[in-house]
Amino acid sequence: MILPSAVDWMELRYFILRRILLLIPTILGLSIFMFILIEAVPKAILVTPYINPHVQIPYIIQEQNALKLLGFNYPPPIAYLFYLDRLFHGDLGLMSMPGYPNSVSAAIIDALPNTIQLTIFASIVSIAIAIPLGTYIGARPNSVADQASRVFSLTGYAIPAFWLALLLQLALGKGTIFGNPFGVLPISGSYNPSLIPYPAPSWFVNGYTDPTHLVIFDSLIHGDIPLFFDALEHIVLPVLTLTYGLLAGILRFMRAGMVDASNQEYVKTARSKGVPEKLVIKKHIRKNAMIPTVTVMGLLVAGLLGGVVLVEYVFSYPGMGYLTTQGILSYQVWLIIGTTLVFGLILVMTNLVVDVVYALTDPRIRY
Amino acid sequence: MANDTNVGGPILKSQTVKHRPRTEDFKHTFKLFIKNELAFVGFVIVLVYFAIAILDYVYPSYLGVRNIDTVASWVPQLASGVPGAPTLAHGWWYIFGETEYFAPIFPVMLAALKTDITYSVAIVITGVLIGTILGTLSGYFGKLYDEVLMRITDIFFSVPTLVLAIAVTTVLGKSLTNVVIALIIIWWPIYARLTRGVSLSIKSNKFVEAATASGSSGLRNVFVHVLPNVLSVVFVQFSLDLGSIVQLFAALDFIGFNQGSPLLPEIGNMLTWGTTYLVAGIWWPIVIPGIFLLIFTVAINLMGDGLRDVLDPKLRR
Amino acid sequence: MMQNSEGTKSDSDVYLRVEKLKTQFFTSRGIVKALDEVNLNIKKGEIFGLVGESGCGKSVTAQSIMYLVPDPPGRIVSGKIYVGNVNMLIGLDRLAKITIKSETNVKIKRNKRLIKRHNYLLSKIRGDRISMIFQEPTLALNPVLRVGDQISENIMLHLKIEMANAILRREMATRKDYESFVQKVFSIGDKDQRGKEILDWCENYSISDAEELVGNIFLTYQDPETIIKSLEFIVNERKSGTDINRLSRARDYYVYQQKLFEATLKLMEAEANGRQDEIESAKYELNEAKREGGTFLSFRVINIFMRRRIEAPLRDAAKRRVIELLTLVNISEPERAAISYPHELSGGMQQRVMIAMALASSPQMLIADEPTTALDVTTQAQILDLIRNLNRQMGSSVLFITHDLAVIAQMCNRVGVMYAGNIVEEADVNTIFDNPKHPYTIGLLRALPRADRIAGKMVKLDTVAGTVPNLITPPSGCRFHPRCKFKMDICEQKKPELDDLGGGHKVACFLYQEPGGSTQ
Repeated sequence: MILPSAVDWMELRYFILRRILLLIPTILGLSIFMFILIEAVPKAILVTPYINPHVQIPYIIQEQNALKLLGFNYPPPIAYLFYLDRLFHGDLGLMSMPGYPNSVSAAIIDALPNTIQLTIFASIVSIAIAIPLGTYIGARPNSVADQASRVFSLTGYAIPAFWLALLLQLALGKGTIFGNPFGVLPISGSYNPSLIPYPAPSWFVNGYTDPTHLVIFDSLIHGDIPLFFDALEHIVLPVLTLTYGLLAGILRFMRAGMVDASNQEYVKTARSKGVPEKLVIKKHIRKNAMIPTVTVMGLLVAGLLGGVVLVEYVFSYPGMGYLTTQGILSYQVWLIIGTTLVFGLILVMTNLVVDVVYALTDPRIRY
Repeated sequence: MANDTNVGGPILKSQTVKHRPRTEDFKHTFKLFIKNELAFVGFVIVLVYFAIAILDYVYPSYLGVRNIDTVASWVPQLASGVPGAPTLAHGWWYIFGETEYFAPIFPVMLAALKTDITYSVAIVITGVLIGTILGTLSGYFGKLYDEVLMRITDIFFSVPTLVLAIAVTTVLGKSLTNVVIALIIIWWPIYARLTRGVSLSIKSNKFVEAATASGSSGLRNVFVHVLPNVLSVVFVQFSLDLGSIVQLFAALDFIGFNQGSPLLPEIGNMLTWGTTYLVAGIWWPIVIPGIFLLIFTVAINLMGDGLRDVLDPKLRR
Repeated sequence: MMQNSEGTKSDSDVYLRVEKLKTQFFTSRGIVKALDEVNLNIKKGEIFGLVGESGCGKSVTAQSIMYLVPDPPGRIVSGKIYVGNVNMLIGLDRLAKITIKSETNVKIKRNKRLIKRHNYLLSKIRGDRISMIFQEPTLALNPVLRVGDQISENIMLHLKIEMANAILRREMATRKDYESFVQKVFSIGDKDQRGKEILDWCENYSISDAEELVGNIFLTYQDPETIIKSLEFIVNERKSGTDINRLSRARDYYVYQQKLFEATLKLMEAEANGRQDEIESAKYELNEAKREGGTFLSFRVINIFMRRRIEAPLRDAAKRRVIELLTLVNISEPERAAISYPHELSGGMQQRVMIAMALASSPQMLIADEPTTALDVTTQAQILDLIRNLNRQMGSSVLFITHDLAVIAQMCNRVGVMYAGNIVEEADVNTIFDNPKHPYTIGLLRALPRADRIAGKMVKLDTVAGTVPNLITPPSGCRFHPRCKFKMDICEQKKPELDDLGGGHKVACFLYQEPGGSTQ
């Protein structure tokens, strides 16, 4: 009947602004933490990617130059300011891994869209399933469907993501188990390289695509339908793995919220007004049940971001997680610190969004 | 127990009227806990896993469990092109088949459970100790100390746990010992946060105020009033976290922190071996260790949920 | 059916009739026999007070009447609740099959289909004929919905047809309508009657905001032609250009839904009576009604996609009614209150909102379950005044539940005294206070400080010795006998019936009845 008035939107804007200002100390703290981690690494390892073996300049001099460049010839607090300055310029350090760009930032920019794509797809699928299902189950506590969902939630919470990924590869992956009729989905990468014509089209450079860096969307933009379907097939298993855990988490809180809300007094009020049962559940109970779910959303997303690293590793999906695990193997400190920082930023931003959504769902939390 | 109350005189006597004796309370809690069948089943499964782990320390070669550090110790009885499938033909060691290096899965997995449980318990206990002490004091004394501690934990919570663990371990150097240290470093803030909240809420309770009013000192209050209440909450979280830590530890080993000890019997490591034969359709080296890990984490969660129901006074009926 | 028609004929001024209402809670510790065959008759327009100690079943009575007992663990086991002429508990015994193996082992097998139909019946009666004000407004208002939305929800549920008709009348008003209205007003001499006629007309033409304006026109002008012109102007100004065809189609659809409900109700009644021929004919009628639904097929499809558009004029009317209601319950700045959330209002304001919500579709029966207990004293008085005034203005009956005898004396026409799930005494308010009969009532009144008894000297207040019994194992016979000073042998063996002592003063006590007489 009544839409939020203009005043509310103004208030909301101030709320968001204030929240963004509050982020600054957290992000600074994060950068300090990252710097402490960098300081803990031997300097010789830190400067390795800055040294070019093909140049005639002696190693010692190159090392000295690199240390000077990174500010490590100063005491740590000053060196931190150097680090901060480089962060402001988008410089996360260098790395040397075959097949990847030299700059950590460039590598992350190439990989980040894939990770975001996976998490967003998994989130959408989970939320789209969990909210109607949670409503249905929460309105019928202790029914058969409820018991089944509890088992599902429990296993979803307890199952290690990487093992689930391996299981799905075995069960649905192409070429894992001989004669498996369900084994139709590809198990590694984000597309099938043999579908790329030779020479590769101009929008396809070094395995990364323009303009979005997402094979699914870029192939659509450039009208390559077979590649589009192939990329879509490649995303199914990773998203399925991620969805399982997230769905279980949301479902668990949604159910608890529904059960809790349906015991509240205002539900009796609604019934006493003659609101039909379906509407009582949808309008009065569900709206309140969403509140606890939204509050834990930040935690669930943190779990999802952890899961995405493992899932990308198992499926060799070229996102940030895969990049990180590759960095572990060849000991790329700058790369790992850089991805950690970016993961942290993503989580901080997600929490901001969660806070705003929370304020929108629960009018009692007013800015 | 009975003697104590007599020595204490009338004051202590009146106290015992109010509070039930600790043992009595514990018995009552345990009874309530057993009533929850699922939680009890979880508890029993966890006990079995712990028994396996402890048994191996007491009788190192019992059940065939042993620390396998070299390839030579696994007698390649059924050496062929690929690891053998589950069979009983060669004795019950081979009931779950073989994994890489033609190692029988069953005894290796029992050893792996021991490794995982030992490391996880060590991590969680250390984390609990650090976190509880810092958090309780922070919640009780508050002010600047509290503010600083909370900002520090904020930073820890702003990075996904697994990613942070990767970063810290990388920095410390790639070895399992460092994985353990890294997990302790990133795990204590959870307890600090938790116990701070509890001790804050207890601090504002009337009975603590009354104790302070009757001349009880701050530190004494922490030990007498706050800590016992904090512990039950921590215990629940501890039991739930054990599952997450086992998973996390296995995951870190799986994604490549096993370089220092590639043959260590550990679930994550075993799954790494299993992936070698993934495309050959050999499922047992992957499925079976995973199932045993899953059973453990499910049991831990069931037990933890049951404990929470029993120990949380709000839920207790 | 027999009893039904007989009952409604004999006391036609009774609006709410509760017969042998029995509510039990099946808990793990045993069956709590919360209500033991409660009988209640509430006349049109009266305020009936229900009083008793806490735990005696007052609130359970209120919740049972609304069919709001939390299930599980509670269930109404048997009884009848007539609201007007409809039994809310129709077909109750078939909703669930209760097998009692022992006190702690009770199996309840629910019939989902019948429960669904029963809920449908309830949703049509609750809020429309009977509504409820709860004890704690803070908990009873939905925290995430705006106050206005919560009130208008009630209106949109029950007054759609009336509002649609009024809007259609307004949109299609012709000169003829004005002429007949003006003639009618002129023909009425009495001033109050005239005012009422004008008010009704304004409501009927959905221009209730212009009620004063119309009244003034009649006061200032005498010439019918001028009045008609002015009326035309007022109505034309309020026309919103609604799509008349669509709205009338919607109205027809709502009427069809109402018909469907009536046919279903008839079928439920027939099934409850168990007469095969009645069931057959009711089924036939229901099918006939359903067949008519075929003509609404296209409308229903449109309704799914364009519901907001179709209902927009109704929502506007509902919005206006919300403001009126909020003004009626003395909320200053009703427009502002309508768009605020419950937590932004004070406790007293929240309770006013609750009352406005309960009154939204002008129910004939209002249940107030300790509406002032959670409020501070000054607010209490205001809320009580409000309820009394509204009762006078709107003429709806009120079942007023409280543990406060002072409030009862102030508010009610008739009083029922409740003890351990039974009504032990029922009389009009003066009789209860001047001439209480039941030992429990006497005890209660002794516990009340009274100016005429204290009269300057210190008097120790009496209390009723003992406490309310455990209702899992209630005392045999009269449930009050363990606390009663006048206990006789028969009290332990038999339950006393509520007997009329004359003048509507009813008591359930063997002191006042022939021991043999109650066996009949």
